[in-house]
Amino acid sequence: MEKRTVDMQIIGDWVEPGNRVLDLGCGQGDLLAYLMQTKGVAAVGVDLDFSRIAACVRRGVSAYQGDMTTLMRAFPERHFDRVICSRTVQELAEPKAVILEALRVGRALTVGFVNHGFWKNRVAMLLGGRKVRNEVYTTAWFESRPANPVTIADFEDFCAAHGIRVVRRAHLAGNWRDPCPLLPNLLAGYALYDLTRA
Amino acid sequence: MTDDAEAVSSAPAAARYLAPGDVGLVAPRDFAHAGPFAFRGGQVLPGFTLRYETYGELNAARDNAIVICHALSGDHHCAGWHSPDDRKPGWWNNLIGPGKAVDTRRFFVVCANVLGGCQGSTGPSSLNPGTGRPYGAAFPPVTIPDMVRAQRLLLDHLGVAAVHAVIGGSMGGMLALQFAIEYPRLVRRVLAMATTGRESAQAIAFNEVGRQAIMQDPAWNRGNYALGEGPRVGLAIARMMAHITYLSDASMDRKFGRRKRRAAEVEASAFDVQFEVEGYLRHQGQSFINRFDANTYLYITRALDQFDLEETAGSLEAAFAPVEAETLIVGFTSDWLFPPEQNRALALALLRAGKRATYAELATDLGHDSFLLESEELYGLVRGFLDRPGTPVT
Repeated sequence: MEKRTVDMQIIGDWVEPGNRVLDLGCGQGDLLAYLMQTKGVAAVGVDLDFSRIAACVRRGVSAYQGDMTTLMRAFPERHFDRVICSRTVQELAEPKAVILEALRVGRALTVGFVNHGFWKNRVAMLLGGRKVRNEVYTTAWFESRPANPVTIADFEDFCAAHGIRVVRRAHLAGNWRDPCPLLPNLLAGYALYDLTRA
Repeated sequence: MTDDAEAVSSAPAAARYLAPGDVGLVAPRDFAHAGPFAFRGGQVLPGFTLRYETYGELNAARDNAIVICHALSGDHHCAGWHSPDDRKPGWWNNLIGPGKAVDTRRFFVVCANVLGGCQGSTGPSSLNPGTGRPYGAAFPPVTIPDMVRAQRLLLDHLGVAAVHAVIGGSMGGMLALQFAIEYPRLVRRVLAMATTGRESAQAIAFNEVGRQAIMQDPAWNRGNYALGEGPRVGLAIARMMAHITYLSDASMDRKFGRRKRRAAEVEASAFDVQFEVEGYLRHQGQSFINRFDANTYLYITRALDQFDLEETAGSLEAAFAPVEAETLIVGFTSDWLFPPEQNRALALALLRAGKRATYAELATDLGHDSFLLESEELYGLVRGFLDRPGTPVT
């Protein structure tokens, strides 16, 4: 819960008051409800699950039940001031397609993800020789959703290769609270990127 | 909408209407509008009547009204019982009542038979004061916007200052959307289920087959028939065919499968009822002709076919531009009459137009009539949508 709070604050800092915001994989609408409260955004979320959409409805967050890429394709360029993809990117079937589509419908894109290159993951893999399991990666391989664990270095490479401009980046230490300016791919537990098309 | 969607309660007949959560015994009322009413098509009626029911009380601010809109073959009797002997309660009794998803302890629920209908509202079976005979085919072509404008006059008559929500499925969903477009300052929420902004060719095709069944029946007589008479065969066939479109392959298979009538019940001819599903459809057709007017069937299916938000405004987004209400669109996976795709399109257009809109989809196998489903998931969704304090309409 505490970990959640910090990245919500950073995501919120990057949103302008009154922005039109789309949250990809909005869950029960926690983030959007927070942004509506603190920034007065016009929010819409997208998620696959009926019960999560129902939770959004209960708290007054507009949400669309369905596939996020299908949803984005229904919007003209730059319809949203900001698209947010928080803790979702590593579970997408086609992260590249989603990110590029998000940069089409959004003037800006926030991507937040757990850094799989964090040293504890490396050590666990090196010494344990098994799928990393800890506070962040809670499930065994056979009960996990399909995942593409992503590292900060991977993500930086991806942005460079696809002409995506990194406007801001926030690398957080293992506690997901303190800034992590040094060797982020090794030492950062969590990463946030503010992106636009170049 | 099918007749049997509302499950018949197993409680003793005499006590069903007293069950907790039930609005109990209710009585319809008539609203007679004395002034002239101009239809979209230009024709004018000197006045009209809407038959309606209300449950719950209008609050002091007069802003707790919930308008329920019925589907093609529905009516104003959406909850409660007309008499302790009724076999079934109103058609949406599972949703509406004290403590239910549409809570009549909080809300003032209004449901009217549509203009053009045949359950007490003015329609083709009403007497034309000019001739002393039913209007028949001389009744003005009625549109979804006409129905909505007539209901607005009823709401004014009832003293409703703001509508907390308009709720409807199928054609009722069209009416609900049209309410929000026509009266943005009045309507705070719209809940439209299993509906569409315009029918597909398939839906129009089904309606046309129904109309042909009626019009090819000699008793239709170009719409001129006495009350209680008319194209009974044609109307029954129209209903049987339409009824299939409200269900699904899976739900019919579960309900009937290939079960046959017992030999003793099967009559001599090879083409009498053999399968349960045949008997069921024939029964549906027969019970429909006793409560529904064939001309109303023609008029309302035409209204459905002609409803086209895109064509009227140039685009769906333009159609929704005036909307101020929060909108919840609900699609059902097994609905092949107004499929999820058409419901999604509504929500997406509302969002493109910058409106507050949500799309939710329930996985059911009951087909188009799924909106009448007894489902805690659906109840929870409706309750959540209605309960939240909304943004005041300024």
